[in-house]
Amino acid sequence: MLTWEFPPRIVGGIARHCEGLAKALSRQGHEVHVVTLDLPGIPYYEEIDGVKIYRTAAELGHPNFITWTLLFNHFLEKRMADLSKEVEYDVLHVHDWLTAPAGISFKHFLKKPMVLTVHSTEYGRSSLHSPDSYAIDGIEWWSTYEADKIIVTTEFMRREVCDHFRAPWEKVKIIPNGINLKKFPESVDRGAIRRRYGIHDHEKLVLCVGRLVPQKGVEYLIKAVPRVVQRHHEAKFVIVGDGWLKSHLEHVARSSGHERKIAFTGFIPDSELVALLMSADVLVVPSIYEPFGIVALEGMAAKVPVVATQVGGLGEIIEHDKTGILVHSRNHESLAWGVNRVLSDSGHSKWLIENALEKVQKTYSWESIAMKTVKVYKEVVG
Amino acid sequence: MGKAMYAGSSSPEVPEEIRLLCMLHNIGATTPEKSLSLPEIRDWTAQEISTVQPQLQNLMSLGYVESSKTEGVDKYHVTLDGIRKVLSMYS
Repeated sequence: MLTWEFPPRIVGGIARHCEGLAKALSRQGHEVHVVTLDLPGIPYYEEIDGVKIYRTAAELGHPNFITWTLLFNHFLEKRMADLSKEVEYDVLHVHDWLTAPAGISFKHFLKKPMVLTVHSTEYGRSSLHSPDSYAIDGIEWWSTYEADKIIVTTEFMRREVCDHFRAPWEKVKIIPNGINLKKFPESVDRGAIRRRYGIHDHEKLVLCVGRLVPQKGVEYLIKAVPRVVQRHHEAKFVIVGDGWLKSHLEHVARSSGHERKIAFTGFIPDSELVALLMSADVLVVPSIYEPFGIVALEGMAAKVPVVATQVGGLGEIIEHDKTGILVHSRNHESLAWGVNRVLSDSGHSKWLIENALEKVQKTYSWESIAMKTVKVYKEVVG
Repeated sequence: MGKAMYAGSSSPEVPEEIRLLCMLHNIGATTPEKSLSLPEIRDWTAQEISTVQPQLQNLMSLGYVESSKTEGVDKYHVTLDGIRKVLSMYS
């Protein structure tokens, strides 16, 4: 498995996806080697739950993003070349374009099939706004062309990959993202956790988790704050995550007139995030582009009602008014309506939570996702 | 990749100091052993020291960059929080 992020190097959802899949494949008796990039202070090799993890340093860098990417791919290739002297691989599984150049080279060198998981596309993320963006789009097309099979996590992404890259429909398989339900304890000390974030017992905790970049739509949530506070004066908003948009969002929060109602936590560790999710009254996912939306699944597993925009995978994960509330994207009024709906009717929220948990348990276990992935591996191995 | 990500939207562009942070990260200045002096950063980024220096100060105040003295020369590298900040743009 080739991925540029693997815990504790966590950028977005890919790291958790690769970890969940790799461990489930290992539990099912498959030998899994993950080749990934290093992170200062973390061992270059370790074995966790049967998964062999090889972390690789890019010994040469360059300020240009694309050049840097090609350079670290070169070092990943070198690492894999060393490994292939000792191990015979059956299939290469590449995650996203960032490690595709190394994967494609290795596919031809080893003469082994390559499976590619497309987690998102540059076209979807940024609408191809710059020369770098076009270059990324080109590498993404190349990787879909070279892949023996392509895995996407939602029907939405299948359409995007087939329409934009002209990939044959039958080459693209849908296997959803998974979630590790075991990381969610039965209960947490809700009061203590909420107090750590300045939330008193009588107050309502509205939580938002995500990278602070435009595609996550956090600005719309901040703009929804006055409408929520108007009906629920006791509401407080906690925004978890980091990103280049943070200072702008802090400015928007200050301008909202409700600065004291909005807290930015920055990055928080996974265990703390689980506890915070389980202590929230509502989780809001205000994205404007979301190929899957794993944070919504985490909310569902944490037994917190989810209000999400009806974009991309979110519209497939959540059934409106049954497993969560779907609202319009880029629309703060709609977001406020969704949050108010949840906060105003605790009986309905409880029902949403029960339905959501049942759906997560049935559909999104890593065991089932690993089995579906192995089926794809078998198709390409022949 | 992050700059003007959403053409037509009112979102601001990536701040200059964050672009510098990305460049330091991509160059590989991510540990004290790989830290870079101001002239080295100037050469890599093709920016004047007078431009880079205040941005580095800002990045240090945010905890994204640390400096250390090697043989009397101030050198700079990206911290773990800084790496996370950069990576948040690349996904």
